[in-house]
Amino acid sequence: MQHTVSFTHNDKQTPVEVSTGVLLSDAAHLAGIDIGQPCGGQGRCGRCAVQVREGDVRRRSTLRLSPDDVEQGYALACQTVVEGDVAIYVPPQEKIERRLTTDRVVAEVTVPADYEYLQDQTVRRIHLELTPPSMDDQTDDWSRLQTAFRLQHKMERVACSVNLLREMGEVLREGDWQVTAIVETSRLTDEKTCKLINLQPNHVDEYSPLWGCAIDIGTTTVSVWLVDLMSGQVRAQVAEYNGQIARGEDVISRIMYASKNGGGEELRQRVLDTINELLETACKRVKARPEEVVKATIAGNSTMIHLFLGIPASNIRLSPFITAVNHPPLMTAREVGLKIHPEASVDCLPGVASYVGADITAGVLSSGLDNAENVTLFLDVGTNGETVLGNRDWLVTCACSAGPAFEGAGVVNGMRATTGAIEEVWINSETFEPTYRVIGGGKPKGICGSGLISLLSEAFITGIIDKAGNVNLMASSSRVREGAHGGEYVVAWGAESESGEDIVISRVDVDNLLRAKAAIYAGFTVLADTVGVPLETTDKVLIGGSFGKYINVEKAVQIGLLPDMDWSRFEFLGNTAVKGAYYALLDWRKRERITEIAKRMTYIELSADNSFYEAFTSALFLPHTDMSKFPSVAEALEGKVNK
Amino acid sequence: MPIEIPKDKWTGSIRAVTIGGTSAEGGTRAKSVTVGGQTSMPYLHYEALTPNKPVIAIEIKSHKPDDWSPLLAEAWGEAMAEPAQWAKKAEEAGADIIVLALTLADSPEDAVRVVKSVLSGTGLPLIVWGPGQAEKDNELLVPVSEATKGEKIVLGICEDKNYRTIVATAMANGHLVQSRTPMDVNLSKQLSILISDMGMPKDRILMDPTTGALGYGIEYGYSVMERLRLAALQGDAMTQSPMIVTPGFEAWKTKEAKVGEGVPEGWGDWKARAINWETLTAIALIESGADVLVLRHPESVKRVKDAIEELTIPA
Repeated sequence: MQHTVSFTHNDKQTPVEVSTGVLLSDAAHLAGIDIGQPCGGQGRCGRCAVQVREGDVRRRSTLRLSPDDVEQGYALACQTVVEGDVAIYVPPQEKIERRLTTDRVVAEVTVPADYEYLQDQTVRRIHLELTPPSMDDQTDDWSRLQTAFRLQHKMERVACSVNLLREMGEVLREGDWQVTAIVETSRLTDEKTCKLINLQPNHVDEYSPLWGCAIDIGTTTVSVWLVDLMSGQVRAQVAEYNGQIARGEDVISRIMYASKNGGGEELRQRVLDTINELLETACKRVKARPEEVVKATIAGNSTMIHLFLGIPASNIRLSPFITAVNHPPLMTAREVGLKIHPEASVDCLPGVASYVGADITAGVLSSGLDNAENVTLFLDVGTNGETVLGNRDWLVTCACSAGPAFEGAGVVNGMRATTGAIEEVWINSETFEPTYRVIGGGKPKGICGSGLISLLSEAFITGIIDKAGNVNLMASSSRVREGAHGGEYVVAWGAESESGEDIVISRVDVDNLLRAKAAIYAGFTVLADTVGVPLETTDKVLIGGSFGKYINVEKAVQIGLLPDMDWSRFEFLGNTAVKGAYYALLDWRKRERITEIAKRMTYIELSADNSFYEAFTSALFLPHTDMSKFPSVAEALEGKVNK
Repeated sequence: MPIEIPKDKWTGSIRAVTIGGTSAEGGTRAKSVTVGGQTSMPYLHYEALTPNKPVIAIEIKSHKPDDWSPLLAEAWGEAMAEPAQWAKKAEEAGADIIVLALTLADSPEDAVRVVKSVLSGTGLPLIVWGPGQAEKDNELLVPVSEATKGEKIVLGICEDKNYRTIVATAMANGHLVQSRTPMDVNLSKQLSILISDMGMPKDRILMDPTTGALGYGIEYGYSVMERLRLAALQGDAMTQSPMIVTPGFEAWKTKEAKVGEGVPEGWGDWKARAINWETLTAIALIESGADVLVLRHPESVKRVKDAIEELTIPA
């Protein structure tokens, strides 16, 4: 039977005649409308969603569409057949991308709603008016300043460095005895004791920014957020690979390098250089000078903090795995070598143990896990895969070495999630041709973590690689070939890429990714087993990590990185460590909360028995050796295998 | 007081696998050999009888090996130079199956010729191994597979980095495959999944979990095999293949078996020691559930067969 399908696309109406049972995608093709089908018309990607405005259709699959979408008439063109005269609206492609519900977009950083500079901040900028000295009033400059602090701001005890004393006389006179001081109080003890950080002549506009920075020193990636302490706003976010990578990809090799002659000092300098350059970039963005930054809060794993402070880290590696310090005392930027205001406080957040550091305690705070009512799983997908399980009553944690693959390092064409990174890939299962999305929209330079997850999953689902990660050289596509490191798949030909070189994923890359995902999966499954909490019963899975904008949950499940459960239970939080440092930077109560969290966490050592290794090797497969743990992936594969 | 022995009830069982094609299946084997089929842990006859006894395969090579122990050369004599003769002698020595190992020196034509000559020299089912180098294995096994359609040979050895070609040719020509992984339950299971994902019927896979000789890690191999068997009986389809192990290869590379001179006097007679080593390795593996044992010395074959007879007498 013949039917009329009337398409509306770009404000143009095109009717075509087709018979019963014809796919909407085929009908659109007849009408000369090109509906993108990156997955090859398999109903896997959802990019061909159209809206049925009138008439009867039959949807063979609505995977990717929410019940709401279906209610509104949305249908997948490649999975929907015509059963009568219909009117179809074809939305512009970019609208579709936004509709897709499987991408859990990371939340924007918002200033905590209750942030009150005067209540929460330890750093204070105050104006002081001093009585000028005279022949009758012979009080010394420092006493005169102390008196002003006491009388005008009730600050009884003010500490001051010799460096400030050296400049003090000139500043006081230059400002004609009107000065602006930046002081830091210890809110925890009392507000009457404080430390002078900076003294400058004249008034400073009280609404002008007061700069602080939150830093996460990751094994692979260092992130710096520049924050206006007055408003609490994050004004610049920058990140770069840790300069120490050149001396080892994981914490163990760094510790070994550091224990060599001069190695520790070199590593300290390398990470300092990375941080100082990032600070400079961030400051440039807001037209400030790094010396204007008067407070720094630092998160990072225990090894990174030791190396940053130049503290020998070798005992972290040696049984019984003891750090020199889990909670370093407050220091000044001058002491540690940060190129911000030399008197600024540098606050290294507290860690729990050698392998569960301040990045995790900060992550727990920013993810809200410590306040969760129900049992929640928190994963930090980084070079060290740390996992925390618990709620507001208890917290257990473990760590495992995953490697830097998900941060785009240690992978031939890997890169950080910045402009030019391929962040998502679809592969047509018939032709093996890829469709990819590049951050910033320009030519691709490489593939970032989320792109690698996406690519691995697509290559697996379409059969380009088998469950063990072997590239199937029998696949009939010029993109599958023998490369320098075994089989490889070409994601972008040199003609399309920024460098002119092919962008590929090789067998070695796949192995690195498999090991990373297996370590993380094994970590949280063993942890859950150890405390006897079935993963299915966890309320939420919170995911932190240095990915770009988002991580595609479905694909992360397909490669067996995340457990196969209802996608709505996953929440992607971005870099939780730097966010935790940011909260601590703003609010002294939150800063104290991190200390409490560190005390509350119970650390479970995975190397105590062979259960981790067992779980690791069983996870070293796509998605997992035990397929019954991944029913949704089994379903997705079924169509393929039957063919 | 009578003691009741607790009995386990298992939901899974080991798959029965038949090796060797008779004229009925288009092959030329005098008889085929079936292994597997167990429904309980090994030899717990109060739970279930052993439906198919473990079988012995004797390993021969396409060229006389120069790195084998002189004790083996002494046992097989002249026949070692002629694979068909060697196979015949192996059959007389009690083998149920012949393992023919090809070498790097073989060309594809040589490989086909030697496999055919062994097939005509014996009526036993055949297992054919490539020389153990991925490219060469594929180069030799494909023509062998094509030239022996209907014989239901076991082709090997599939490993996780090189299995596709061997599995594809075995599927196309009605043969079986041997899937080897290095002493790990998960890896065994993974390779079985990869092979069956290609469409290979599960009753044409023999699982080789790899083992160590007595004193050289046998306890690790033993425990992996035991765990594989437990998983299989608990219903894990990917561990239910019969197991083939190579105690001959493992035992004859140990110092105790290989070296006759310059060893402590207390080690005793060299020949007795070497044969004991192979026999004891094999018997331990039988206890852990091995179905096909690949041996080298005719005296070991005799002793292991005796042990199998004793083990499989119903209680």
